Amino acid sequence: MSKLEPGTYFMQGDEASVEGAIHAGCKFFAGYPITPATEIAERMARRLRQAGGVFLQLEDEITAIAAIIGASWTGTKAMTATSGPGFSLMQENLGYACMTETPIVIVDVQRSGPSTGQPTRAAQGDVMQARWGSHGDYEVIALAPNSVQEMFDLTITAFNLSERYRVPAIVLSDADIGHMRGTFVIPEKVEIVDRKYHTKPVSYNAFAYDENLVPNFPKFGQGHRVHITGLTHDISGYPKTTDAKVHEALVTRLVNKIRLHREDICRAEVINPHADSLVVAYGSPSNSVYEVVNERADVGLFRPITLWPFPEEQLRECAAHARRILVLEMNMGQIYWEVERIARKSPCEKIELLTRLGGDVHTPEEILEKLA
Amino acid sequence: MNFFDFYRQDRWPHMFCPGCGIGTVMNAFFHAFVESGLDQNKTVFVAGIGCSGRIPGYIRADSLHTTHGRPIAFAGGIKVADPDLKVVVFSGDGDLGAIGGNHFINACRRNVELTVICINNYIYGMTGGQASTTTPRDFFSSTTPYGNREYPFDLSEVAVAAGANYVARWTTFHVKQMKKAMQKALLKDGFSFVEIASQCPAQFGRYNQMNSARQVFEWLKASAVPRSKASKLSADHLDLNLMGKITVGEFVERNRESYMKALGVLQ
Amino acid sequence: MTRVRTKIDEKYCKGCNICVAICPVKVYVEGESLSSRGYTIPVIRRAEECMDAKREPGEKKKCELCVYVCPDQAIGWENE
Repeated sequence: MSKLEPGTYFMQGDEASVEGAIHAGCKFFAGYPITPATEIAERMARRLRQAGGVFLQLEDEITAIAAIIGASWTGTKAMTATSGPGFSLMQENLGYACMTETPIVIVDVQRSGPSTGQPTRAAQGDVMQARWGSHGDYEVIALAPNSVQEMFDLTITAFNLSERYRVPAIVLSDADIGHMRGTFVIPEKVEIVDRKYHTKPVSYNAFAYDENLVPNFPKFGQGHRVHITGLTHDISGYPKTTDAKVHEALVTRLVNKIRLHREDICRAEVINPHADSLVVAYGSPSNSVYEVVNERADVGLFRPITLWPFPEEQLRECAAHARRILVLEMNMGQIYWEVERIARKSPCEKIELLTRLGGDVHTPEEILEKLA
Repeated sequence: MNFFDFYRQDRWPHMFCPGCGIGTVMNAFFHAFVESGLDQNKTVFVAGIGCSGRIPGYIRADSLHTTHGRPIAFAGGIKVADPDLKVVVFSGDGDLGAIGGNHFINACRRNVELTVICINNYIYGMTGGQASTTTPRDFFSSTTPYGNREYPFDLSEVAVAAGANYVARWTTFHVKQMKKAMQKALLKDGFSFVEIASQCPAQFGRYNQMNSARQVFEWLKASAVPRSKASKLSADHLDLNLMGKITVGEFVERNRESYMKALGVLQ
Repeated sequence: MTRVRTKIDEKYCKGCNICVAICPVKVYVEGESLSSRGYTIPVIRRAEECMDAKREPGEKKKCELCVYVCPDQAIGWENE
């Protein structure tokens, strides 16, 4: 049994993510046990063999991300899953994947930090780390699911976007969503995107690109004889580390290939877009907002599903009508600053943050009280 | 096949310092690779950071120049994801003994189907001559101005203890033996490891009163003792550096089940 | 007929003199003058002592240590 048949299933969020990955064509998983993402590795260990793939448990998270980058260069769709401490360890090679334009998927089931923190409790402390955790300038794609269904859906989306833009895609889940059990539906038709391959030998043109800014992929073992390096390189792929122009051109393209495609990448859920009070929430806390907007027609929800790149235009439209904005986060304020930056120029009077730490989610009552 | 069918002549002369042993290792590796009958188009060369990390950039084949210490971690992913590829890692003592030590011992333990060539020059060459985990005791470097007080690693002994299927060490003086060892390593199933004690005249020599490449080279030659003889010397530790000697030869050749066979990826 | 002998390619040689150290019959000596690239290139002083130069036609080379060891791939064969 490779992919699950279309239908309705009951599963944990972490497990649904595995099924999403297998649906997307993932054939390689490397990981290291960590709460609350371990269930992903455990199900992968069982399921990937059935799906004709390979599961590896390695000596640490650094090896895990390195192995999936290596696997990706053979043209294999590859993924790893981790939580905060492991995600921290992965940052160096996350930058390597950006620099070498290697499609990989990382599922980060967030827990409370800093450091070991609360291993079993949900948090949203890795949002900025996902965006800025590695050194240098780059862009990644990060998606925030808020249900078991989205653990399935967004894992597939992560693979699709990662393949299309040759960039790491991160599923920023949290312990509540990862451990939540619920039903999800596998539809009849699921869109799957594969990266574009070089068909003729490229050698010294490995990184030649078109107006999309995404070079075709020269997979290993096809006689391309390409050199792939984390050093600054020109389109030949070979190091050119002292020429400012080469570096500027490369980094600008790595950033622009994501920024220029924001319309394709950015997803958001909006309820009551013209509401007087707008609640911005993603992941676990957003589930509490559904009740609030059901009760109060003057309250709207803006839920960024794509956290990075942030759905700026969509938020700006909603913010233009709002008198006040309330941002819910399970951290001391990370997306809040994005919202602040984007909504600052709107006529809105108040932009506030309601934070919850320690693994508890904001209750609908608390949100209503804050909005009173 | 000619040397420059394998290496990229358009990038020659290479960037390595005058007298650097890496060029010698490249010669021996070329002969070993050709005589092994492996397909250049089906071989991937992986390297970490440092002088040794630059070797794959000179080879006319697919190559991945990775992050510091991690080449074995990347290489394992490539090999398991596409077992048809032969994967060779070029690495240094900094990559393997320090920052990537964990990947090294665990890849040996799993017996992953990789060939790892380590150019051990006993120092961090590219960053300007800092002590490494293999710098001999009492030797000097830019970070051990009063002499190195730490005991060094013996990378080959580590590989044996960790479970590699093939382990050999030679110096750059032993060009023919080095070639033979590399050839054996390339054809060996499971994890194979060849360590080359190599001269770094620009850093190691400079800090240790050896003023020319020739002097460091001759020091290596004079320090080398065949492993068979070394085992008879009365010492409580066969460490090359404690003895002031470099034990050379084959350290192990065995046939433990290799990783992908154990996983069921390969029959 | 000119004899088969080793030659040093000045384009590649970086003057490390490792060939001087490895040759068992001391064909090479350290040079004194600078090459166009600024290196002191070793000199082939006793080419006739080279055991591979002395070999019979069709016989396999048995030494070639200098060719193997040269870190800059500067040593090759002449008149072969």
